[in-house]
Amino acid sequence: MGEKTHDPQRRKVIKAAGAALAASVLLPSKAPAQQARNEQLQVWSCGGLAEAFRPANKHYEQLTGTKINYTGAFAAALGKSLLGGAETEIFAGRVLKLAQKLISTGKMEYFKPLCFTRYVLATPKGNPAGIATLEDLTRSGVRVALAPEASTPGGPAVIKLLEIAKIKDEVLKNTVIKGSCVHQMISEITSSNSDVTIVENRITRLPSVKGQLDVLPIPENVQPPPPLTFTIGVMKAAHNRKLADEYLEFIVSAEGQKFFDEAGFIPALSEKGKELTEKLGVHDV
Amino acid sequence: MSENKGATILINKLKWLNNTSKLIFLTIIGQWSFYGIFRCPFPVPFVGCSNCPVITCWGRISSLFWGFWLVLPLSVILFGRAFCGWACPGGFINQMFGKISPFKTGPKSRLNKFAPLGFIVGISITLYLWLGWNNPRLAIPIRVGEFWQSIALTFEHADSYWLARTAIVLSLTLASFLVVNVWCRMFCPTGGVLEGLSRFAVFRVYKNDICNDCDNCRQLCAMKTRPAETNCTNCGDCVSQCPQHAVKIGRKGK
Repeated sequence: MGEKTHDPQRRKVIKAAGAALAASVLLPSKAPAQQARNEQLQVWSCGGLAEAFRPANKHYEQLTGTKINYTGAFAAALGKSLLGGAETEIFAGRVLKLAQKLISTGKMEYFKPLCFTRYVLATPKGNPAGIATLEDLTRSGVRVALAPEASTPGGPAVIKLLEIAKIKDEVLKNTVIKGSCVHQMISEITSSNSDVTIVENRITRLPSVKGQLDVLPIPENVQPPPPLTFTIGVMKAAHNRKLADEYLEFIVSAEGQKFFDEAGFIPALSEKGKELTEKLGVHDV
Repeated sequence: MSENKGATILINKLKWLNNTSKLIFLTIIGQWSFYGIFRCPFPVPFVGCSNCPVITCWGRISSLFWGFWLVLPLSVILFGRAFCGWACPGGFINQMFGKISPFKTGPKSRLNKFAPLGFIVGISITLYLWLGWNNPRLAIPIRVGEFWQSIALTFEHADSYWLARTAIVLSLTLASFLVVNVWCRMFCPTGGVLEGLSRFAVFRVYKNDICNDCDNCRQLCAMKTRPAETNCTNCGDCVSQCPQHAVKIGRKGK
């Protein structure tokens, strides 16, 4: 064993380091200053909804003083945790069947339709390849970027869309970038490494790509089958049922739904949303 | 004369400056390091932040990511491994563990002799994961979430490769309780790259010809090394402590 060297600053430095680390890690998760009601609500949602939920929650906190403890992550993983025993008070997930399963297993009290996703064509700003329709992706020389290995909404759903449009093989021949991550792929478009991609409209509204893309619609008759649906439900574990109900009503109200519209979703409250609700059978059981 | 006095005051304040710098950087980039270990879905953190779905990570929401990769190469050209000794939050945590460790290695630790081998292993694995394997997503990114819950969810849904990577990094960090700074001295890939490039640094801490090999500097050193030798981070802790006044800071030979 070596001789222990005397270091008079050690204790001071360790204390200061602890304080600095705690400040660094914990400060961003501190509660807002004014919490008139001093109440909290735990909200989990599909990660794709985070860009809508974050400002919506902030607005709700300002309106009511209720602190929203929000977690946004891959819905299937959160669903698995909830089915396995984890608890939250509000859950907004993708995939209608998951919400129905949570109801049937007694984890969720009820749910309501929240919003829908839709797929669009995204090109670099100015659309240098002159893409106008989905069929243009089959044109010789067009450089397509896809993420077939990404999770279902980013990968398999897009492939299904191409199958429905009967252009899958031609488009895959033109695919010069095949990624496993939608975020990486969209940056290939903004940096003009490819001419066009197919993504959920919400991806084109992300702050990191805002203003760097041209977005073109894809006809409804080739939109892929579910998962297009997002629902929001009150869980059995809600400590304050009234508070949970109020929050859910805010999110599905016109005031709450505008955040989902701005984030690139079709709000359930809109005419299109109501049509999709009926078409896709988004009803509590 | 007054210039020498000023230099002496500066040298005596080096330790204080160093600790202050580490605390400041711990506050600025500590959370980013924390995300890198516990919540980054990729096996190699800090290299793909611009595309990462974890939207609350400081490397994502601030200019830290670009700033870091701009400043780090500049820092190594000027001051060698100074990032490790003056700024790295992980290095600071390792050093703290080493300081409160009940076990101390001898002052003539031979670990540094094997450091290049460890660094080669660490760098090779990192390069393979990053460039060879394309740094795949191995954990479910908790895009937004509460502090502890997000960590718990990340671990719950992570791939076994991600769990193995995190277990190795954490084990080697905790190993600082047994072998002082073992992660920084032998395995850190960033430290390894900086170590390799540090020989080209313009400024450094070095010892001159009047050094009598008393090894007082190594005994004091958090990295258990001597000026300008393997694992010297130019922290300057030893500059004012050399009984022979043989340790200098600046451009060697100037």
